[in-house]
Amino acid sequence: MTSHILDLEAVSLNFSRRRLIPDKTPFPALKKVSFSMVKGETLGVVGRNGCGKSSLLRLLTGIYTPDSGRIVRNYKNASLLSLSLGFDRELSGRDNAILSGMLLGHSRDNVIRHLDEIIAFSELAAFIDAPIKTYSTGMRTRLGFSVAITLQVDLLLIDEVLGVGDVRFREKAIQAMSEKITGHQSVVFVSHAKTQVSKLCDRVLWLEKGQLMEIGPTQQVLACYYAFLDESKELIV
Amino acid sequence: MSDRPSSFSDAPTYQTRGLGITQSNIYEVFKTKLMLNLKAEASRTYLGYLWWVLEPTLYVCVLYLVFNYLIDRGTQDFVAFLLCGTIPFLWFSKTIANATASILDSHVLISSLRIPKPFFPLLIVFQDSVKQTFVFTLLFLFLLLYGTPVSVNWWYVLPVIFVQLGMIIAAALSVAAITPWFPDFKFVVPTGLLLLMLSSGVFYSYQTLIPEARWDTFLLNPMANLIDNYRRVLLDGVQPDWLALLSIAAFSVVVSIIVLSLLRRYDATYNRLVIQ
Repeated sequence: MTSHILDLEAVSLNFSRRRLIPDKTPFPALKKVSFSMVKGETLGVVGRNGCGKSSLLRLLTGIYTPDSGRIVRNYKNASLLSLSLGFDRELSGRDNAILSGMLLGHSRDNVIRHLDEIIAFSELAAFIDAPIKTYSTGMRTRLGFSVAITLQVDLLLIDEVLGVGDVRFREKAIQAMSEKITGHQSVVFVSHAKTQVSKLCDRVLWLEKGQLMEIGPTQQVLACYYAFLDESKELIV
Repeated sequence: MSDRPSSFSDAPTYQTRGLGITQSNIYEVFKTKLMLNLKAEASRTYLGYLWWVLEPTLYVCVLYLVFNYLIDRGTQDFVAFLLCGTIPFLWFSKTIANATASILDSHVLISSLRIPKPFFPLLIVFQDSVKQTFVFTLLFLFLLLYGTPVSVNWWYVLPVIFVQLGMIIAAALSVAAITPWFPDFKFVVPTGLLLLMLSSGVFYSYQTLIPEARWDTFLLNPMANLIDNYRRVLLDGVQPDWLALLSIAAFSVVVSIIVLSLLRRYDATYNRLVIQ
């Protein structure tokens, strides 16, 4: 039995700008990307805007299916930690937490069982029954993060969410993430924040224009990536 | 764009079963989302749930005032006649108008999780149907208060309502499935609904306005046929046209099955259409 939670073999994904009649030369979002992840690993994904990071996460959640290549998933549920998933401004924090947890694939009973934990982590106890339209962006972020981090999933996919919220909560979120990571949680972590990637990830994958440039130990790949960014800046200047 | 492989040897393999909302919790999510949507809708106004009764009451009052006092159209029978046409029609048209962009407008949810696309139009259908139960109750009350003879055959309104619900489901699924491919479609829908309203005998009796030779053609329009059946049952106290009801129900089931299987077959393509 393989310990791989995920295998991608030459996965390509193309987008078309038109709906009814596809383009003859569609825009490639991912080009023959191959990599594997072992259970319990935290894989960082770096790359410039539009390089295919979000498309990769959507492939892993099953939202996109590849145009060619092979994905083997050895996990039952993957949660894309998106802030405020399915949130309705008019509903209370409590109702939104229940709905959001259910949308992430959990049963209503399971979410309700973890509700106290979610509320405690979000530090919103005094406001949890107020409609979330009265919340600040930071408060909404805290609630969204708490729902996703408290409920267990096989593969946690995180897209740039740790950069939001106040400094104290951000530290707490990173701490919670670190705890998950040191446990058995498998994580794919997309971020532009170098320190967070360095601190949290076992390995890093670097994408550029849909192509896998490098995958390997965190410091090694980050060094290549930032050298590439410096080079690109010089070219622009 | 296409989720077909570019070549046979490159055929993609993926397992997506169990990801996102699973078959086991979809009904639970649907039920919870339905209740919370209704709750959220009610909380947007000061009078909240009261509007579910107030809105149709005001509507009935306006029709009653206009046709009983301002326009001398004779008796309250005409108001009852109008209500039996407008109430079912408005149920259909409001739901279809709301369902048209339901998949397209759910891009936030669709871009974050794998969710079956029929979820969105069906949610609209059931949301509007819950509110419609109050409207129908009000219609029956109005008919009782204004002396329309009550008949045992009134019970036959239930199959008519259920057949209409089936037709609404089929139409809502269809329009919601078309819009992501052709977003301009949402501008065509209101015109289509207007045409349907004018051709369904909502405001007139086809027996008086249309030559008898064309009655059968007129009744081929399922909305016109349903309205005719509402009037037969509630105003004339006779049984509905069972064959017509059965035909509409069968047609709705076939259309629904086709659209559901297409939505399932092209689920991944819909994700791309909506997100891009």
